[in-house]
Amino acid sequence: MNISGMLYGSKLLDIVEFPRTEVLGPESSNQQIKELIARHGEVFIKPIFLGGIGKKGKAGLVGRAKDLKTALKEKERLYFVEHKVGNNIAKANGVTFEAAIPAEHEIYLSLTDSTRYRAPTMMMTHVGGVDIEALPKDQIAEIPFDPTTGLKSFVITNALADLKAPREIISPLAQNLPKLWDLFHHYGMTTLELNPIRMSQVKPGSLTPLACDFKCGFDRDDPRVRRLNLPSDLFAVDYSDFEQEINQLRTYQGQSDVSVINPNGTILAPTFGGGANSLVTEFLGDDAIISSDFGGNPPYQKMREVMRICLKHWLKQTNVLFIIGGKANNTDIFVTFRAMADALREYFSNHGPVPIYVVIGRGGPNLSRGLLTFKDVLEQLGLPYRIFAFDSAMTDVVRYAQAADKWMKAGGREMLAKQLGIAA
Amino acid sequence: MDNDQDVKLSTNIRSLAELATPTDRVCVLNILGNESRTVTPISHSYSGGNVVFGTAPGKQGKVLETPLGNVPVYDNVREGLDAGHAFNVGVVYLPPSAVRDGVIELVRVNPECKKIIILTEKVPVHDSRIIRSRARLRKVDVFGANCLGIADAWNHIRIGGALGGDKPEETLKKGSVAIYSNSGNFTTTIASYLMAAGWGTTTSISSGKDVYIHFAPVEFTYALDNDARSKAAVMYIEPGGYYEQNLKLNKPLVACVVGRWKSKLTRAVGHAGAMGGSGDNAEAKEKWFQDLLQVDGIYTPENPICTTRGALVTNIAHIPEALTAVMKLHGVEPDFAPQGDLTLKPWFGNTQGLPVPPELDLPLVDPIQPYKDQIAELSKQVGAIFPREAMKDRSGSSLMDPKTQVTKVSGVSVLDAAGYPLESNYCLALLHEHNDANDNALLNTAIACDVNLHGNPLIDLVDTVRAAGNSPNTVLSTACAAIGPNTINNARIAVDTFMELFGHSGLMQGDHSDFNIANIETSPEQIKHLVTDTPDPKAEAMLAGLAARGAKSVFVDYLKSLGQHPTADAVLAAITTSIAWNALMRKKITRTTARNLPWYARLMSVIIGAAVGSDKHQKDSFCGVANIDLINKWSATEIAYLALLGETPTPEKLFPFQVLLGLIISNGPGTISAQGAKGAVSADGPETPERVQINKAMIGFMTHTGYSHGGNGYEGIQFLIERFANTDLQDAGKANHGIDLATMSKEYALAFGAEKKARKSVGDAVRNIPGINHPIFKGQLVNKDPREVYLSELFAKRGEFNIFHAFYSSLVQALYDNGITANVFCVNIDAVIAALLLKLLWPRYRSGDFSEAALESAAFTAFLFGRTVGCAGEIDDHTNRGRNMDTRTAASKCSFVS
Repeated sequence: MNISGMLYGSKLLDIVEFPRTEVLGPESSNQQIKELIARHGEVFIKPIFLGGIGKKGKAGLVGRAKDLKTALKEKERLYFVEHKVGNNIAKANGVTFEAAIPAEHEIYLSLTDSTRYRAPTMMMTHVGGVDIEALPKDQIAEIPFDPTTGLKSFVITNALADLKAPREIISPLAQNLPKLWDLFHHYGMTTLELNPIRMSQVKPGSLTPLACDFKCGFDRDDPRVRRLNLPSDLFAVDYSDFEQEINQLRTYQGQSDVSVINPNGTILAPTFGGGANSLVTEFLGDDAIISSDFGGNPPYQKMREVMRICLKHWLKQTNVLFIIGGKANNTDIFVTFRAMADALREYFSNHGPVPIYVVIGRGGPNLSRGLLTFKDVLEQLGLPYRIFAFDSAMTDVVRYAQAADKWMKAGGREMLAKQLGIAA
Repeated sequence: MDNDQDVKLSTNIRSLAELATPTDRVCVLNILGNESRTVTPISHSYSGGNVVFGTAPGKQGKVLETPLGNVPVYDNVREGLDAGHAFNVGVVYLPPSAVRDGVIELVRVNPECKKIIILTEKVPVHDSRIIRSRARLRKVDVFGANCLGIADAWNHIRIGGALGGDKPEETLKKGSVAIYSNSGNFTTTIASYLMAAGWGTTTSISSGKDVYIHFAPVEFTYALDNDARSKAAVMYIEPGGYYEQNLKLNKPLVACVVGRWKSKLTRAVGHAGAMGGSGDNAEAKEKWFQDLLQVDGIYTPENPICTTRGALVTNIAHIPEALTAVMKLHGVEPDFAPQGDLTLKPWFGNTQGLPVPPELDLPLVDPIQPYKDQIAELSKQVGAIFPREAMKDRSGSSLMDPKTQVTKVSGVSVLDAAGYPLESNYCLALLHEHNDANDNALLNTAIACDVNLHGNPLIDLVDTVRAAGNSPNTVLSTACAAIGPNTINNARIAVDTFMELFGHSGLMQGDHSDFNIANIETSPEQIKHLVTDTPDPKAEAMLAGLAARGAKSVFVDYLKSLGQHPTADAVLAAITTSIAWNALMRKKITRTTARNLPWYARLMSVIIGAAVGSDKHQKDSFCGVANIDLINKWSATEIAYLALLGETPTPEKLFPFQVLLGLIISNGPGTISAQGAKGAVSADGPETPERVQINKAMIGFMTHTGYSHGGNGYEGIQFLIERFANTDLQDAGKANHGIDLATMSKEYALAFGAEKKARKSVGDAVRNIPGINHPIFKGQLVNKDPREVYLSELFAKRGEFNIFHAFYSSLVQALYDNGITANVFCVNIDAVIAALLLKLLWPRYRSGDFSEAALESAAFTAFLFGRTVGCAGEIDDHTNRGRNMDTRTAASKCSFVS
């Protein structure tokens, strides 16, 4: 759950009255853009990407214009532009027009929870506007502080003094930066980054820090995010239909975390436990359709619903249904296995059989009853299967599932389909 | 990263031996919550009783029952302390939004609280920040959130979560290895893996993997070095966070770092903190541990890289071997002989006859103990067990699709059910699948032998109730009331006996004629429930009927093999158990369903039988048909036809009758009839299923039908009679009937339009035409009820004509053509039912045999016959799944109307 750019950034900064550059959204009229250029001499045109993709400047995706004609041309170029950073590909939907702020000093500031200090930590430099990673260490101040008192002016003045920052920027930053703590701490953020903050002479004789770019990440488990009334589709880009459907079941009783790994994968692996998730994701790689953690002792109804959604989206393409977890501490195997077996049976009775090989590896409370329940259903459905308990190495069970997938791809699926009286 | 000095300052824990000690006393917040209720009693008794009290706001005075006695519950921590309890460990099971305040309560109210374990998942980072700050201020050690606590195998102490599961002593074997794991599940899994190489544990810690980890690797390694019991450690580490950077320790370590592939994901799954950036991803962590352990690669069985300092693995299955290799360099042998091994051991499997390669066709192995015994015991269980839940307005039997209005019973649409006879649909509702011809032969015999109520005082009672002017449902309720538990108990005991005798015999099909019954050993006590010394004429008639129909049943064969005289109850039980057996063995139905099946069969008989007066029940015949013929030949559908229409059906007449009954078996759990049935079960308390009175539940269904629900089919019939009374129609099935339907429709449409206009002008309500229009299927230019479309096509395919149905189709068009309706209304399912029934009854109505009152009664009774099927399904489903009194409505949802 991330936001980048000034379209929403400006609205969030306004909540705590942090000064910022003037921003117009994609719906702005030509007249408004013209006036913005007239007021500031120049505007930046930036594509709007939902989610948290960055490095637009480096990719040449920031336009500049000193007249309306150029501004509109840049708008046309950037409105639906595609941007790739690592594995992330984002498609723009609109542009912002942001006033260019002439400034001598550019500040970088971020707030996040540092695992080095186990405290909220401010990172700042007065040599901003560049990649923070590219700067030498002595130009960056990294200061943890106490969350019960928050980010105080003295933390900022001390940091700027250590950085030997020019005198004229210290006071305006000490006055304004503490406001960001309120935004960060009270609205469920996990990171907040302003880069650059340009020190501008809004009033003659004194500098004002104007935020010119914005990035933040939210904690999906923090109800404080709802205080912002952000449009629900703002984060929808992060999730596929399948993930959104599962996310609706997200409660604190029982995990229901999923991520689609490969929509063309052939192993559907409902996984139990964060550890098992890491291991299984690692070993299955692109064979897996989803990465999931359904542990945490989910109740029957929730487990059945989670499984129903998994099957609805993915069972047709699945070669191997692979139910895997370690030796559960508290997750009731009978309850969860019964729910999953019932969902599988329900799928078969509603949609007809699907040729799948079933591989199971699990341990935990009520194990015998749980395994027997699943076994009975698999027998009824006429599916080939192997059920391993916790005394088999989990990685070997994963490899077994991969071998089953390989066999299914090499003609096994057709044979099984024929046996079930359906097309492969 | 905190340095050594900081570690000493940030934790009270000097040695791992201090983490979970016999002197620790525990207070559990939200002790009565779902998870704690299961876990805390096990932890408490494993630890010799270390939980002194728990809190649950508003539940002061309650207790948590444990094997070592009750743990008291208070509203808050202060009350517990005031009551004289002292504790030094707080365990938090609160929901996420309450965790921070719970921690603050613990540290502020009790200065003696020095350890806090937070089990809760999804605690906001915001709250963890505050918890971290407060805990450091007060010098309290926090574990979690999102962890499973700490366990000490030496002291037999488990505090916090559920490490080791429901049997901690199985996995937490005393040994020399400390475990620190980001995954709660893997803490236990690693402990069980270590046992396979002969290693036991000292202290096991599930650290959690949120962004904030309070008892982090740096605190762990510091305490490990100071723990004389621990000779080595295993750490299981996931990406994200700098907690493992620059660690120092003086004991051997096997570090398992996973998550290289995970860097491809864009968000955390499972563990909120398990997302690495460029500097704290899995590769970076592998490098940190390589530097710490002075190894230049990853340990694998093929390339066992390790030093005296330890080894790095990326596969948890390699942990035991790597540990043994490292300890060997120190000259240290495992703690005990290996217990089991980690090779692939399939406990269950079936290739279903497919030619799978040898690497997939692994031979099955016996489960280890105690699972082997458990599985053997559980495998003896006959039939399914469904989890009990509140079943108000819910059903595992039927479901109506709100879009198509088509109901499915046991997953079969009523439109498809209409293609099956009554007896098949009865089996469908109760056994969740359509039966075969042999099952029908069996069930038809059972039903036929009980429809004739001659000599049974019940039929006189039914006559009396009918003569008092009651509606058919009230009359049939009386009949059901007479079929109480005492009348069926012997048959139920016989079913129990069959299940005992054959449950583990390997028999899968009730009609398996080659099954060797000679191997079934029966005790005299069991035989007593099945046979008598003297011949039972009813039993003999049934056996003769079965023979005449060629019905096969292992149980009937078995009864005959006993060499004495089977009782009629035993024969009935043998019949129903044969029908149920396959579903029972495949755990599709419960034992309860199987043992109630004779009851359902007899209720169906009596409902059909009581539909006619005592004058039709003669000693040797029913409605003029010889008993022997009914038992030997007739189907339940045919007998129902006979009772309703008083004549022997021809195949042409039977088909629409069967369709009619099939269509009305159910309209989902929301209909009044189903609600009546479910309410009656709920009131008896399905959690004690043997006390649920199936006949009373059937009365619940009957009393929840009436002139509006069930009897309203007659409105359509009445409407059609009004239209056709003055015609010379003799046979409603003749396509060349000679009646000008178009003119008739137009005339009625115009008359209806005029009446509508007149009524509107004086403000009167406009009456609807029965069988036309539907609240769902409307608004299109031409509207169709898909159920009517399906049936029209079905009859057209069979070349069957129905003038009443044709009139309805013509009428909706005429209403539109003449401007009475804005579009072409649909002919709805009620119209089809009325048309079907009237077509059957028309000759007798025309001849004067049937009065209009008799027509109304017949329409209502037909509904009851069909609906008995669906309601039997609801009754059985609610009995098997429901909770006591679960259909009541909460007072907060009820309102007063003045």
